[in-house]
Parts: sequence; C-alpha cells; structure tokens
Amino acid sequence: MDAIQFVLNGRQVTYTGSAADRLLDVLREIFRCTSVKCGCKEGECGACSVLINHTLYNSCCVAMGAVEGADVVTLEGFRETERFAVLEKAFGSVSAVQCGFCTPGMLLAAEALLSKNPHPDEEKIREGFSGNLCRCTGYNAIVNAVKQAAEEGSGLW
Amino acid sequence: MVNGVVPSTLKEALEILAERDIIPYAGGTDLMVENRKNAEYLFLNKIPELRQIRVDEEEIRIGAAVTFTEALADPNVPMLMKEAVSRIAAPAIRNAGTFGGNLGNGSAKADTVVVEFAADAKLRLVSAIGERIVNVDGFYLGRKKLDLRKDELIAEVLLPKHGLDRYAYEKVGGRNALAISRVSFAGVFDSADGRITKLSAAFGAVADTVLRYKDLEAMLIGKTFEEAKHLKPEYLKAYDERMMLTKGRVSAEYRKQVCMNLLDAFLSKFGI
Repeated sequence: MDAIQFVLNGRQVTYTGSAADRLLDVLREIFRCTSVKCGCKEGECGACSVLINHTLYNSCCVAMGAVEGADVVTLEGFRETERFAVLEKAFGSVSAVQCGFCTPGMLLAAEALLSKNPHPDEEKIREGFSGNLCRCTGYNAIVNAVKQAAEEGSGLW
Repeated sequence: MVNGVVPSTLKEALEILAERDIIPYAGGTDLMVENRKNAEYLFLNKIPELRQIRVDEEEIRIGAAVTFTEALADPNVPMLMKEAVSRIAAPAIRNAGTFGGNLGNGSAKADTVVVEFAADAKLRLVSAIGERIVNVDGFYLGRKKLDLRKDELIAEVLLPKHGLDRYAYEKVGGRNALAISRVSFAGVFDSADGRITKLSAAFGAVADTVLRYKDLEAMLIGKTFEEAKHLKPEYLKAYDERMMLTKGRVSAEYRKQVCMNLLDAFLSKFGI
C-alpha cells in the first residue's frame, strides 16, 4: 500500500492513514495546521478553506485520496507571502477581524478571488466570499479590506 | 493507499468497480458530509475521459467529473445550465462539485438535475462490459434510487445542442448563497409560425424525484398563442391537481404555491 503524497505549504509530505479521512482533520491533527478551522463539517461555513492547486476548497469536504499529488496551501504557508502582508494590513486597518475564527478562510478566499480577478467590484467580492460566513463583522469591513488590498497590492495579483 | 484507489484511466476505474465494493468519489461535497466510516473510495478526479466537455453534431457532452466552476467557464455549456450552476452553494463548493456527483447522489434537490429533466438530457453510463444511454427521467427511480448498477459509472451528461435558448430557471432557497433548494424550476419553450413547438416544465426539490408531466405539457404543444392563453387556466389547474409534494422543512402548501406561481410566470414570460 502506497502512502498518499502531496505538497503542504511548499513541503513534500506523506500521509499513511485512510484515503477516506477528511483533509480538514488531517491538516489539524497530523500536520498541526490549526489555522484551518472546523465550523460545520458540511461545506457551509468556509472556516476550513484551503487552496488546492491554487483553487479554493472546503477541506471538510475533501477526502485525503483526492489530494494525492496535489499542492495544498493553508494560512501557515500563505502567511509567508507578500500578498498576505498586504491583506493582513488591510484587514487590520479597517477592523475586518473581530473574533478571528473565520479569518484564515477569509484570507484564502481573498487570495483565490484576487488571483482570478485582481480588481473585483463589490458584487464580485461578495460573490467570492459567499461561502465564507462571519458572525462578527457584518461583512462590510471585509469587503472594504479586500478593496483596499486590491488597490494597495496592485500588481501583486 | 488505504481505503482508496486513484485510477488514471476510465478502463482501470471500471475494472476496479467490477471487482469490488467501492464508492465512486467525484467532488466529495455530498459524500464527505455523510462521512461514512471505513468507506473505500474510487477517486475519479484524475481520469481525463471524465473531465472533458465535448461538442458533437447533436449534443453537448459534459463529463461526469467536470466541476461546476469548469462548466461556468466553458462557452459550449448552455445558458440555462449555467444559470442553475451559478447559483449552487458558493465558489469553493462549485470548485469541487461535479455533474456526475450531483446525479449520483440521487437527490431531487440537485440543481443541475432539474435542468437535465427540462432539457430531455441523456446520460451515458459505462461499465467494464459495455455502455448504455438512458434518459434522465428514467434514470431517477425514486429517492436515492437510480437506474445504475454497482459496476457502472456515470460517464457523461448529454444535453441537446439546440433548442435550449428560450428558458426560465428559478431557484427558491432560504438565502442567497449556500442554499439548498426549497423549490427549483426549469422550463424550456419554443415556437414557430405562431404555434408552440416545445414546452417543458420541471420542478425540483418537491418530491422524491424531479417532477415533469409530459402529458400535461402536450395540452399546449401545437397550439397557437391565443389557444394556449385560453387553455392556460385549465393547464394550471391540471398541475395543481397532479402535483403532490413531499413534506419538507418548509411546508408543502407553501412550496406548492411557489411551484404554481413559477409555472404561471414561465408561461407569461413567453406570452401565454
């Protein structure tokens, strides 16, 4: 039986457990990527968002077998980037973070959105974040943070 | 790999499926919510034959492992289907969810399936010993009951290339995004020389399977617009009498009224 191999935050890693295990659980329990939050386990909250091959997924709805050979990025990896620095500053400056539970997912959703569309209008921002729930901010601050990051980070995406 | 196989060709996948009890896994967005313990999955995400959208003379052929996001980006996918797909859940789910999975899950709430019913879609089912093509309405036998053998995979959804330009699609959910349909509706219409040549109306999320009544549609097909307007009350009454809704989280009475309103609006949209 071959183990599952994938790249996690730039490092080649191996998982010897079940291919039916949730990526969410494996990231948290085995690889200690605790930025990946468990909110609902049914793909409805976006707190467990990760990037797989540069595309946004809910890691609760991904089985380990599906990430064989894939490139997985969590906030632990993304925070080493220049893009993260721009987003961090923008989220902080407009108070787009309160309790912070949704924030890792929000930042990866921002990265996914801006990678596809570096200058989204408000409607596109709201659509891009429609799978990420926040119970604190009321979303307006998050939308403003993404607008600000798109401006200040112009050219990065 | 423990509890899973990742075949790289369709042939390999079908051989494995013929030999053992293994669950086809496409996007995972329904399966992982169930989180079956000790399940063994046949991962279909690396099979090129299932990941293509192809167009031939008559049909648009959407591979079973094509994701909703991929379909939205493809110029060949009909607008009616795109409208339904664009309202499924949210981006991360659309990045994972697939056409085959939406069918294979066997739910009458599946948003692509109501479109497939209205569009007279066919499905290509394949196994190690051959293949067959079935109509989507015959494929759905009941709630979670499909005309799909254990050794078969859904390979493609076949949509007609022409005749889907005039349509109505509505999804009624509890919120804008991440909503499971309470009622979904897809209708297709066409006319020529002042007469109705095509009319189909399909209702999702209201019963064990998607509902479509071809005998009632026949009341208006071939009629002029004037005749159809005259027959409209009778047509609506026939649906009202025929449609039996299953109970859900939202009352059957409310959902029934929504169905009737949507059907009325669909006819009005095309001048009936």
